[in-house]
Amino acid sequence: MPASYPSVEKWVIAAGIFRRTLDGVRPSGRSGKEAGAFWLGRREATAHICAVVLPHGIGVEEQRGRWAVSPEVFSAITRWAKPRNFVLLAIVHTHVRGVPPILSWTDRNLGVRVPGMLSAVIGNGGGDSDHRRWGWYVFENEDYRSLSEQEIRARIQIDPASECEVWTADASAVQAVRT
Amino acid sequence: MTNPGMQNEVTAQQGHPEIEREIVRVSADYLPSPKEFHHNYQDETVVETVRIDAMTFFGVKDFQDRNIHKFFLEFESRVLENTSQTLEQLLGRHRRSAHFNLIERVTQGGGSNASELSKR
Repeated sequence: MPASYPSVEKWVIAAGIFRRTLDGVRPSGRSGKEAGAFWLGRREATAHICAVVLPHGIGVEEQRGRWAVSPEVFSAITRWAKPRNFVLLAIVHTHVRGVPPILSWTDRNLGVRVPGMLSAVIGNGGGDSDHRRWGWYVFENEDYRSLSEQEIRARIQIDPASECEVWTADASAVQAVRT
Repeated sequence: MTNPGMQNEVTAQQGHPEIEREIVRVSADYLPSPKEFHHNYQDETVVETVRIDAMTFFGVKDFQDRNIHKFFLEFESRVLENTSQTLEQLLGRHRRSAHFNLIERVTQGGGSNASELSKR
């Protein structure tokens, strides 16, 4: 693995990340559109995911078969994340009802393609609350590889004690979501 | 690629004063990586050189499949489309450091610049 991407053995995810992600993507899912979220945190052998960014608005495309985020949104998130020592660890998006939570060709090839990047697909427009029913993938050897159930149990851990931060992003800025 | 020791020196060669090129300290971030790219360049270096070096550091490259994937440097919230400009032209004569963000743009289908990109 290149030195720019330290190897990740497991991802410890603040429990609130799941709930806030589902809260963020379900409105679009209910209207038959895909949506998604970026998960950020510290990249180490045990990576800690402690922030979710919900792109929405200018620069974000939510359609029935497509969720896309413009480079300008990516830039805004970069400018916000780096001073906080956050890196992008996972991209999570929904498939609408009736479409299985499996990475499509577009998902595989339009997403971020760097070693150790995690990608998760939530079925039923965000209706699947149980993350074990999601499609989980990790980028290795120039492609995304599906994680087995055993790997999901071993490598994806939920931390009920960790705090999570929730933010929205568009092409102009990243803003905290007030709870 | 430059030697920081050359910074701001003035030398005489064949009777004509020659001002050595200024050094610019460049850094770059890419959102998925915890590492930061650092390098010193002469100010006559074109932005394309920085772009290529940053892409190499972060292990990414331009490519074309059904779509065109190209990486850009962003500087002060502005995507640098003109990569033939020099750092001096971008920064002005007196600025000695610059920070960039590396971002990817995916253009669906073919495009006018498709021939510039390598096929994966």
